[in-house]
Amino acid sequence: MVLVIGAALTHYNHRRDCSGFRDWAVQAFSDALRMSGLAPGDMDALIVSSESDFFTLQLNPASVLAQDLGLTGAATLRVEGGGGTGQFAVHAGVERILSGRAKHVAIVGVDPSASALHGNSIRELYGYSFDFWTDGLSGATSTALYALSWQMFAAEYGGNDEDLGRVTIKNRRNALLNPGAHLPRDHSAEEINASPMIASPYRRLHCSPLSDGAAALILSAPDAAPQERRTRAPRISGIGAASDLPGLGHRGNPGRFTAKSKAAERAYSMAGCTASEIDVAEVYDAYAGAELQAVAALGLSSGPVAASRDGKFHAEGACPVNLSGGLMGQGAPVGATGVGQTVTCALLLEGRYYKGLQPQKSLGHAIADTHGGVATTCAVTVLSAGDVV
Amino acid sequence: MKHRIILDYDLGEGWLAPWINGLRNGRAVASQCQGCNTARFPPLRVCTTCRTPSENWVELSGRANVLIRSSGCDGDFALVHFEGAKGAAVVRAEQLSDTAAHGHLSACPEGPPILQLEPDPSV
Repeated sequence: MVLVIGAALTHYNHRRDCSGFRDWAVQAFSDALRMSGLAPGDMDALIVSSESDFFTLQLNPASVLAQDLGLTGAATLRVEGGGGTGQFAVHAGVERILSGRAKHVAIVGVDPSASALHGNSIRELYGYSFDFWTDGLSGATSTALYALSWQMFAAEYGGNDEDLGRVTIKNRRNALLNPGAHLPRDHSAEEINASPMIASPYRRLHCSPLSDGAAALILSAPDAAPQERRTRAPRISGIGAASDLPGLGHRGNPGRFTAKSKAAERAYSMAGCTASEIDVAEVYDAYAGAELQAVAALGLSSGPVAASRDGKFHAEGACPVNLSGGLMGQGAPVGATGVGQTVTCALLLEGRYYKGLQPQKSLGHAIADTHGGVATTCAVTVLSAGDVV
Repeated sequence: MKHRIILDYDLGEGWLAPWINGLRNGRAVASQCQGCNTARFPPLRVCTTCRTPSENWVELSGRANVLIRSSGCDGDFALVHFEGAKGAAVVRAEQLSDTAAHGHLSACPEGPPILQLEPDPSV
């Protein structure tokens, strides 16, 4: 068990204020450190989550961030795992503490996914997130690959375009109450259906945006946490990761996120809980259908499409999914995304989340879920509430 | 601050060379498992059925059956099954009609090796 004693994220958006990724990292880290009650000198390690040097033009980003954060001298590590980068960084921090090699670890996720490069350049680079020699050179975009996978899933579970619209509307409406969200919107189904077709059945509004931003966590060994954070701080109780074949066509079922299911099973096992005990979830909704595919893989529902239609995943539902707005509403600065999901889960479990989004019921367990590729490299984190003071 | 870099890569094709040369000439060259003879296109270096390294290469007909398609601003793509291979492949499908159920691997002598289908000449 590892405590989350500090958690913060910046606004996610398209920065037009001449600030840079190093500024956002400092902001998120400073806020998380303040919450933790610790000082920079207390950090044994800095783990940086950043997906691509193409975005930052900074190889070895942990070196300059350690300098900017006042952590020079601490052990540094940069983690990358495609869209799952942030959650893999969280896992690296947890493992460092559980191994006894660190008492306090700072996790900083950051990427300038919106402002540094033109969208067409980002689209091409993201196309290399799959298998460069097959999908990448053929020009298959992320949206096209997810669209093919969704169609296979929808054929099995009965999903349709209305279901994609329902997820889109839910997540962007949740984002209306998140002051740091990139796309807070109150979409109508007609508006969604009128948006340009990117890769059928995915229209522009079914897709998550490219965002800038940062998120940070301060993790602590239970016996090393400041007394005032020791009991109340949420715990990371389970982590799990797994991989699948990069090529959709090589998989037994291209519509199912099989590796995500394995990762979740491992995380639940470590946490000593089951999917039915998850009260709230932040899942990887790079596209509207991917949320339902993730919900199925995580075991949050055996009939995800029907459960979505019944409102199970709405803010007032039995298991709210993506209260933050998810990638679709809150935004997607890739390296920050998974770290930010864990931040959100920690704040929800501690009752510190945004007014209007904080559930009225007490929360016991939360799950944060990311992946790289089309659920090729999957990382899942289970968090549990601390003791009520 | 504006900044521009231009990168010219020279990528080694390595183990994939037979497959890539096939694409350049419109020939579907698949990997074949030494243990169970399963052919995979695109190739897999280790067989997912028996985990044996795939050291052999076999040429398929190049004919593929369309399973599902996706089209829009990003282009026209399809998940297809190449006859003689296990599994499926994602290919470009701009040259196929919307209703085409079959296609044939298209040669790409210039530019990068692309998985692309053209109308099946036998139909």
